Amino acid sequence: MSELQKIPVQSETTTVGGSAKRTNPLAHVFDDLMNFCRARSMFMLHYCTGCGAIELPPAMTSRFDMERLGIQPMVTPRQADILLITGYVSVKTLKRIILTYEQMAAPKYVIGICSCTVNGGMYWQSYATAKVLKDYLPVDVYIAGCMPRPEAVIEGLKDLMDDIKTGQAENWKRYFQNYDHYLGNQQKLFGEDWQTPTDIIAEARHYGLMTDNTLGEHTALLEKHQRPLEALGMRLKNREKQARE
Amino acid sequence: MSISHLILELVLMPLVAFLAGLLMVLMMRRIGARLQRRIGPPFFQPLYDILKLYGKKTQISHGMIHEMGIIMAVGGFVAATTLLPVPGMDGLADKGGIITLTYMLMIPSLGLALGVGQCANPNGSIGISRALTAMLAYDIPFVLVVFGAAYVYGTTNLAEMIAIQQHQGVSSWGITQMPLLALAGMMTLPAIMGKQPFEIYVAPAEIATGPMVEMGGKFMGGLFVMQCFQLYIASVLYATLFLGGGENWISFLVKIFLVVEIPMSIAFLFPRYRTEDVLRLMWKWPVMVGIIGLAMAMN
Repeated sequence: MSELQKIPVQSETTTVGGSAKRTNPLAHVFDDLMNFCRARSMFMLHYCTGCGAIELPPAMTSRFDMERLGIQPMVTPRQADILLITGYVSVKTLKRIILTYEQMAAPKYVIGICSCTVNGGMYWQSYATAKVLKDYLPVDVYIAGCMPRPEAVIEGLKDLMDDIKTGQAENWKRYFQNYDHYLGNQQKLFGEDWQTPTDIIAEARHYGLMTDNTLGEHTALLEKHQRPLEALGMRLKNREKQARE
Repeated sequence: MSISHLILELVLMPLVAFLAGLLMVLMMRRIGARLQRRIGPPFFQPLYDILKLYGKKTQISHGMIHEMGIIMAVGGFVAATTLLPVPGMDGLADKGGIITLTYMLMIPSLGLALGVGQCANPNGSIGISRALTAMLAYDIPFVLVVFGAAYVYGTTNLAEMIAIQQHQGVSSWGITQMPLLALAGMMTLPAIMGKQPFEIYVAPAEIATGPMVEMGGKFMGGLFVMQCFQLYIASVLYATLFLGGGENWISFLVKIFLVVEIPMSIAFLFPRYRTEDVLRLMWKWPVMVGIIGLAMAMN
């Protein structure tokens, strides 16, 4: 419980695009329709890190058939709504997961499958494993089990669907609102000079999700170490030329 | 025909095409599901997908050409629908004819190529180069079939072709007049629709869905809309050339859904061909059948 209390909680809910100011009664009808569509059409990017991945093919194919709920796999973060993390997360993998998560388009949701994402599971004593996923990313749904059966996976996805339908699944906003907290945990693991190509602070500003917890000591550290992004050089290795020289 | 009537038709024809296209996408996914012994998506699934994609809060654009590319891709097909006569509505079919339509059908691929080019993603570039190669592969038999049909009917006007076929009944339908050309057209149809076994350019596991790799949100939504139009246009064109068009809406819808259903049932049973094999297959069998059909039709 003490761990839970450490996460700063935003008391007042900020809404994207200043929708609180809206006076048009039809505005909510449209939002409700969008939420319904979001719930009924979920593209998932499965980041198969561990044994939980084995349970996904049966959940997708003939026996349990996720497509009847509108859930289908997608392969790039640009198109995906859900990031499925299926199993233990090593420190090296976590870097890639964070890169992937930050590239996804909002609204985005994270699902942690297997006990390993909840608390480290059987890798609790491992030196190379990031134990608690929600320290680094805002997780919407945990599906515990070692491994959870396809029924449990689908049950978890249905929970997420219900949350999206009622507009409660807004954890993606928390990443922007409490970026300092998440970045601090990431820096603890990866070192002070950790940075990603995505400019989260600028995005938070764009969505109007800047709070007191977005900036802090950790983001100050990030700014100190931040190198500007450079385009990759167009270098082609000309083996023939090299051989001649 | 008054100008207001024409404008009404120009609005209604793409709308009808979109609705029929949504149903075709649903049918395609249901057929795939049933063949794999699944239940398949619910009735409104294609609509949910499109609405959700347009409702995404992050819309990552890579620049002007990226956005224009999608507009070209959808717009080319929207323009093509106004050239295809449906029961009761001829639109621009009298003025355009089949040659304009053939040009229109190439615009979406080129627009997509422009849009993908600006994303500067290597997977996208590989995908679009494969897509354009596939277009090169199916365009030869496609043009052959279109030429054969135009020769047999003695006109390039689609409305006249339908009138000729409907005037004389089933015995004058393209499929009885030139069965080999109809067969070549059916062999080309999966490639025009971009479906298995000719869809190596969207290989999800290998090149992360190829041209679509950088498309998210409304861009992907635009491509989903494009897919609806793609299925509709390919099937209506086939029904117009070979199945006598539509006498009324019921027979029209039955014909076009039947035309989509045949390649879809075959599609989910096959793995993919590699790009060079697509080229070899397309330039060999449909072209061979088409040329023999053409020779018989000209006889």
